[in-house]
Amino acid sequence: MKTEINKKTPLYDEHIKLGAKIVAFAGFLMPLYYKSIIEEHLNVRNNSGLFDISHMGEVIIKGKDARVFVDYVFTADVSKTLPGEIIYSLMLNEKGGIIDDVTVFKFSENEFMVVVNAANTQKDFSWLHYQQSEFQKNGYGVSVENVSEKIGLISIQGPKSRDIIYPLVGDIAKIGRCGFFDLKFRPKPVTELKHFKFSCALFKDNNIEALISRSGYTGESGFEIFVPAEKTATLWNYLLKHGHLSNLLPVGLGARDTLRFEAALPLYGHELDETVNPYDAGLEKYLSVTKDFIGKEVLKNIKNKEKRLIFFKLSGKQIPRHMQKILDENLKPIGCIASGTYSPSNKFPIGSAYISDANISPSSLKNFFIDIRGNFEKAEVVSPPFHKKKQS
Amino acid sequence: MKAEGQFYFSKTHEWISKETGDTFYLGISDFAQSELGDIVYIVLPEAGRVYKKGEKIGEIESVKSVSEIYAPVTLKVISVNTNLNEKSELINTHPYNSGYIARVSVLNLSDISGLMDKNTYESFVTS
Repeated sequence: MKTEINKKTPLYDEHIKLGAKIVAFAGFLMPLYYKSIIEEHLNVRNNSGLFDISHMGEVIIKGKDARVFVDYVFTADVSKTLPGEIIYSLMLNEKGGIIDDVTVFKFSENEFMVVVNAANTQKDFSWLHYQQSEFQKNGYGVSVENVSEKIGLISIQGPKSRDIIYPLVGDIAKIGRCGFFDLKFRPKPVTELKHFKFSCALFKDNNIEALISRSGYTGESGFEIFVPAEKTATLWNYLLKHGHLSNLLPVGLGARDTLRFEAALPLYGHELDETVNPYDAGLEKYLSVTKDFIGKEVLKNIKNKEKRLIFFKLSGKQIPRHMQKILDENLKPIGCIASGTYSPSNKFPIGSAYISDANISPSSLKNFFIDIRGNFEKAEVVSPPFHKKKQS
Repeated sequence: MKAEGQFYFSKTHEWISKETGDTFYLGISDFAQSELGDIVYIVLPEAGRVYKKGEKIGEIESVKSVSEIYAPVTLKVISVNTNLNEKSELINTHPYNSGYIARVSVLNLSDISGLMDKNTYESFVTS
């Protein structure tokens, strides 16, 4: 195995100053928590939280045939979106296995940005680059560029996230450049942005220009801010300085995971990987029925699910962990844990698992157990999510 | 909990502190709890049972990880802190008093000389 030196995001020094517990994740040194996963989690549910997610990757796809390209490599109807819109999509291999789950931002008819999982940035870029070469051989005009290291990504999530963002942004009504990006459309005022739309923000006092989207990974409303790498720390500290506007606390990856899992949002490497197809994962609604895409042909022949994703809670206190076994009432192994954690909102352990026999319906699983280090803990199927956003 | 003052630490981050005679309180260090993060579950040692030095006496589970607790000396468990069954977070908030794990008899008092005092332990965890 090759040894890899972990990378730092533009905010590494800020995490150290804030006393974060640092862990290696997806090749980056990231904050696991600053004070407490539970406290940070609950603050996002009740107020707001500030996340460094600069480890995530960004790939720009552009060219006169970019629309044809994105429709072929992604499962969702990407080209049909409008400039300023985001779409969630899967990227499949030829066998229908999931290479990654991504969001695609449409800048213009000729330019898109793909936001990918940190652990998959290299793999995704290699795949996209290979597909680009194939397209170019056939005379199509498209190019892909990995711009991950040039961009810092800050997320603010929680029911009060608007209370800090709205007062700090001045509006940009020009067409064209937005910090690092070339948007080519007239950005909407940030205060008018709806879910999965993006615009350009000009932050007051420091004049930092950044792409801002209404999106996130917590089950709360929130914003994600794509800022030039060299300005990320300034923006981070500026937001923390105004933290009183929304009771803002910095939040580490520990709570990012418990938040996303309560909202039943999949995590690549847990619910998703290349051995999982979109039907197994319950993500068939992200497969376009109107166009061809890589993997579609094979998926047509999959009549039955090969395995089935279920969600459950435990009556005991021990926490189920990734890869532990699921046992039926006769203690026969029937599957494997995808994700398991403690739910800070519900105060009990929760999990997801792939049942290897797709003929077992979740409702028939009355009694089943998780083998947690030799203890058989009783579990109960629940329908996701574990947490629903409060009406605001 | 009424510990008499001096705390003795093991390399595996447990502490003991004298109550009276050969009776000691046992817990895990502030460093250990901060490394674990939010503790949500504990498997307590068995009251009445004798554990040899280095033997596993329990398990602590935090949101992110699971760790074992070891006997820092050969000991017999007198009683366990059952408050932790409902309030395991006491280990995070009060590792040196109400977050103690058990009251134990130290069966061989000379074992204690193999443990570290507070200053030695602190330089051990920062080195």
